[in-house]
Amino acid sequence: MIKLQNIWKEYHLDKELVFTALKNINLTIKDKEFASIIGPSGSGKSTLMHLIGLLDTPSQGKIFFDDMDVSKMNDNKLSSLRNEYIGFVFQQFNLIPKLTVLENILMSTVYATKKMGFIPRDRALDLIGRFGLNGKENSYPNKISGGQQQRVAIARALMMNPKLILADEPTGNLDTKTGQQILNLLQDLHEKEKITVIIVTHDPGIASETKRKIEIRDGEII
Amino acid sequence: MKYAIFLIKTAYEDFVRNKGRTVLTSLGILIGVLSVVLLMAFGLGLKKYISDQFESLGKNLVMVMPGQGFGRDGGRSLIGGIQFDFKDINKLKRIKGIKAIAPYFMKTLKVEYKTKSELSMLLATTGESFEVTNFKIAEGRAFSNSDNEKSAKVVVMGSETAEKLFGNNEDKVGKYVRIQGQRFKVIGVMQKQGGGALGSDFNTRSIVPYKSAYFLNPTKKFFAIYLKAGDGINISNLKSEIKSTLLKRYKEDDFSVTDQVELLSTINSIFSILNLVLVAIAAISLVVGGIGIMNIMYVTVTERIKEIGIRRALGARKNDILYQFMVEAVALSLIGGLLGLVLAYLIVALIYNFFPAYIDLFSVFLALAVSSIIGFIFGVFPAKKAADLTPIEAIRYE
Repeated sequence: MIKLQNIWKEYHLDKELVFTALKNINLTIKDKEFASIIGPSGSGKSTLMHLIGLLDTPSQGKIFFDDMDVSKMNDNKLSSLRNEYIGFVFQQFNLIPKLTVLENILMSTVYATKKMGFIPRDRALDLIGRFGLNGKENSYPNKISGGQQQRVAIARALMMNPKLILADEPTGNLDTKTGQQILNLLQDLHEKEKITVIIVTHDPGIASETKRKIEIRDGEII
Repeated sequence: MKYAIFLIKTAYEDFVRNKGRTVLTSLGILIGVLSVVLLMAFGLGLKKYISDQFESLGKNLVMVMPGQGFGRDGGRSLIGGIQFDFKDINKLKRIKGIKAIAPYFMKTLKVEYKTKSELSMLLATTGESFEVTNFKIAEGRAFSNSDNEKSAKVVVMGSETAEKLFGNNEDKVGKYVRIQGQRFKVIGVMQKQGGGALGSDFNTRSIVPYKSAYFLNPTKKFFAIYLKAGDGINISNLKSEIKSTLLKRYKEDDFSVTDQVELLSTINSIFSILNLVLVAIAAISLVVGGIGIMNIMYVTVTERIKEIGIRRALGARKNDILYQFMVEAVALSLIGGLLGLVLAYLIVALIYNFFPAYIDLFSVFLALAVSSIIGFIFGVFPAKKAADLTPIEAIRYE
């Protein structure tokens, strides 16, 4: 599904100081994988996730998404790919505070460029029901619990029927019990819906629940 | 369509969230549009008022005045220029096509009745003058040429002066007033002319036969000569004939021959320029309003960088972000423009009884178009800033 070839990512902090976040990364993620990217903070795992999620471009190397060379794509094309194929779940939930639960979940459908095979509102309500958020459709994010917010975020990520879910420390802001619920939810998505799920984490306990562990340290996969 | 609704809804939600800020930002545009539209409305009202005044004087009116008349030298030579005498009048009388002639001697003085006294513009002229200028009599009668020949001490008064001297209920006709110590009998009162502040000029006149006013005009000279052309006479031919007659005695710069249409267009063009300058000055406030919008849009963009990042992650293209902020800027400006227009309309409606200002369709169109354009111009830079953020920059922003 995603292939990273000799990827380097450098940040120019000032004229002479260059920080290398990723060094010669080669990585293939297959369809329907359940993987984790694990490493301490500053190891480059978030940078790697952003590259996989087509939010950022590498300094060197090539990224293939379904065998398409992403480096040759313009912003519009990349945006469409993100919209259609990738769902993001963030540590901070990143819901838009002024929009209701339902509106947050519907957000990505506004930017759809292709015909969707579903009625957006019906699908959103269906997801709300599935994630136990019934009755919260019209609530604003600050009126529901952290666990509920993260479930809204997952529902939002699933809205467009993505092939890939990228979860960046999805349990980082939740207590252990709620965190486990979220993890189970992601696991379900992988097992029942055959969606590729990649969890980025620093917690070995969480990583051990995934089928594949990609360990990264100082910008290199070990 | 759905997308447009989404954009407008997003803008609306942001306005509701920041009510105070929205109102203050729109206020800049509101004031700008209000002042521009009001000035245009006043300009139009003034123009209409002047045209009405001229039309009430009747067509076929030709005016012979000292100097270059109105306009060309700013009317300076109207005062202290040449004066016309009977030689001129008699020569002009001989020109074919002139139906009536009215030389004018003018003086501002006090008209007294019992203990009351009113300042009035005295016009000493012929009986024909009422025909020349279309002045209508409301009560009594006008004086005739034979009254003039008899040097009859009679006066026809403007409505305002008559009202002030005699009050509303008393009979005005038949009363005697004193002008510079001489007794004049009021034989007629003129109809009220025009409506506004400028019209009072017509309504405070006192018209007397010129022969009865020689005690005020011992040199027997006249300030201006008004002529009425007969129906079907070519005015420009008549004007050149009048001109060549007077050129035998005076230099070209000493006098001017103008007709209604020419005078009206001169005055109109003066007012148009004046109005344009005023509107241009008012338009500066629109630019200031626009800068206010730009400022707030930059703040809004900065506040919402994280949101932009989330939207980009969910698949929003650069243009989606650009449109979102553009719509917001234009809507902000348009709200101000609309409110300014409504307020201008209310003010015009309120003062209509005192001054006939009016807002035409062009002003409405201009106000809305200009406020949209201002929103567009001043919104494009902040919106571009938002759109040019890379998704990763935006989503990492705290």
